[in-house]
Amino acid sequence: MIVARDLTKIYGTKAAVDGISFTVEPGRVTGFLGPNGAGKSTTMRMILGLDRPTAGSVTVNGHRYADSSAPLREVGALLEARALHPGRSARDHLRWLAVSNRIPAARVDEVLGLVGLEEVAGKRVGKFSLGMGQRLGIAVALLGDPPVVVLDEPVNGLDPEGIRWVRNLARRLAAEGRTVFVSSHLMSEMALTADHLVVIGRGTVLADCSMPDFIAGHASSYVRVRSPQRGEVADLLRRQGLDVDVSDEELRVQGLDAAAIGELVGKSGLYLHELTLVRSSLEDAFMTLTASSVEYHAQEAGIAR
Amino acid sequence: MTATVALDPHRNVPGVRKPAFPDTLHAEWIKFWSVRSTFWSTAMLFVLGAGLTTLVCALAAKDIASGAAGESPLSFVTWGMMFAQITAIVLGTLAVTTEYGTGMIRATLAAVPRRGSVLAAKALVLTGTLFVAGTVTAFAGYFGGNVFLDNHGVGVALADDGVLRSMLGSGLYLAGLGLFAAAVGLLLRHTAAALSAVLALVFVVGNMAFLLPGSWGEWTAKLMPGNAGSGVATPLSFNPGLLGPWTGFAVFSGEVAALLAVAYVVFRRRDA
Repeated sequence: MIVARDLTKIYGTKAAVDGISFTVEPGRVTGFLGPNGAGKSTTMRMILGLDRPTAGSVTVNGHRYADSSAPLREVGALLEARALHPGRSARDHLRWLAVSNRIPAARVDEVLGLVGLEEVAGKRVGKFSLGMGQRLGIAVALLGDPPVVVLDEPVNGLDPEGIRWVRNLARRLAAEGRTVFVSSHLMSEMALTADHLVVIGRGTVLADCSMPDFIAGHASSYVRVRSPQRGEVADLLRRQGLDVDVSDEELRVQGLDAAAIGELVGKSGLYLHELTLVRSSLEDAFMTLTASSVEYHAQEAGIAR
Repeated sequence: MTATVALDPHRNVPGVRKPAFPDTLHAEWIKFWSVRSTFWSTAMLFVLGAGLTTLVCALAAKDIASGAAGESPLSFVTWGMMFAQITAIVLGTLAVTTEYGTGMIRATLAAVPRRGSVLAAKALVLTGTLFVAGTVTAFAGYFGGNVFLDNHGVGVALADDGVLRSMLGSGLYLAGLGLFAAAVGLLLRHTAAALSAVLALVFVVGNMAFLLPGSWGEWTAKLMPGNAGSGVATPLSFNPGLLGPWTGFAVFSGEVAALLAVAYVVFRRRDA
């Protein structure tokens, strides 16, 4: 279990993480979602005691990470895949990590097998592809067979098969009862992996809820209704207990499908000009939620003059 | 929600105690020797140190014997160690700065959050290696060079004044120099910056200091790290203006210790 309370990190005058609180429970995959620059990696580094919080605290299994005598056996982390010396072999990298935490040497070959790197274990990691480096990073995270697993952008650089492998791995680790905390800037990836979501933007928590709740609350579909008799149609639908939003030109109706709405309006003899089911994807919901918190917007059409 | 995984960090190591400093030391030892630059730097240290001593003795033996060189043969038997200093500095710098250059430092501190232990283990591995390599190299250079000095009748014995001391002193001085470079590396976190700073301080600023006027200039020169520390590594220095070998080494050790203490305080407080 990971518990963050009012966690804050200020670089100079800029708050990278601004008083966030959340709890990562065991037995499920918690997705940590936010646009680039939202403070995800800073939070991850504070969890591992690498960066010192300006205020607030974060604990793992009830104590600070740095107070653990054998941290790799308690928390396995994939931070940046390239936190490696390019001249060292994959096996040597795992070997020194194992020795530092008294993890049995046999575990090194075990995790190399687990991530499918046994054939290149003796190769220098500078020659590894991005995907191989990422697999080695995951091997590092699993080395101590830890009850808590923290993965920062684990699918970066992986091919579709690798992405599916990471997804299944995260789900399996959670099913075994471990605490799994996975960060990503891709909503589509999280939708398939996470049971619970913590969404951050500009260093603050925007949402902390289960995946189904997030979908229900943010990615709803509605039926667009246009009619020259907008007011009458709205009244009619409201009388049926439907949720109707009136915007400039259209009605947004929730609670009934398009066909049923059409029949209802037709029976009362009102005109309809349009009747369309509008679905907003999770990706759209995420974009809407974080739109105001994105650090750098791309210019729409080239350079504005 | 399923049952949670047991949290006991010892569960996969039956009957084994918690990891402690020897494990950190062992891990740093594996890290140090599992990159090629360590082997090549150590090999260069030996080739430069022993090889150049032998070469200069071979070339100068005739002039030393005839008195044309105007120097004692004692000044020549550790001559190559001047160049071995460079590789000791490189080795010490790289041991720290490559961790920052590659981001490895985060893996290191995630595995061992006690930063004092990490620094102590790095320092021990580095100084141990440099002491052994420096001493062995000094002996090899002495034996190689002395063959040529002997041929011209000006050979020196190990029992001669300061010879044995300079062999061990070479190991000590290179170990201290490596540690000095590692401390600068920890402060600057950048290979090129740290290497330039230490090489400039030891080889350029140290020599230029002798040009300073007056007695404060003389003392400044004597107290510069390279000038203070190198006396112990040679039986008889070419430079008569240095502190005594052990006095100088004590000053040098104090300077290394002070810098290391500053580096430690910064390292403890800084985000990785």
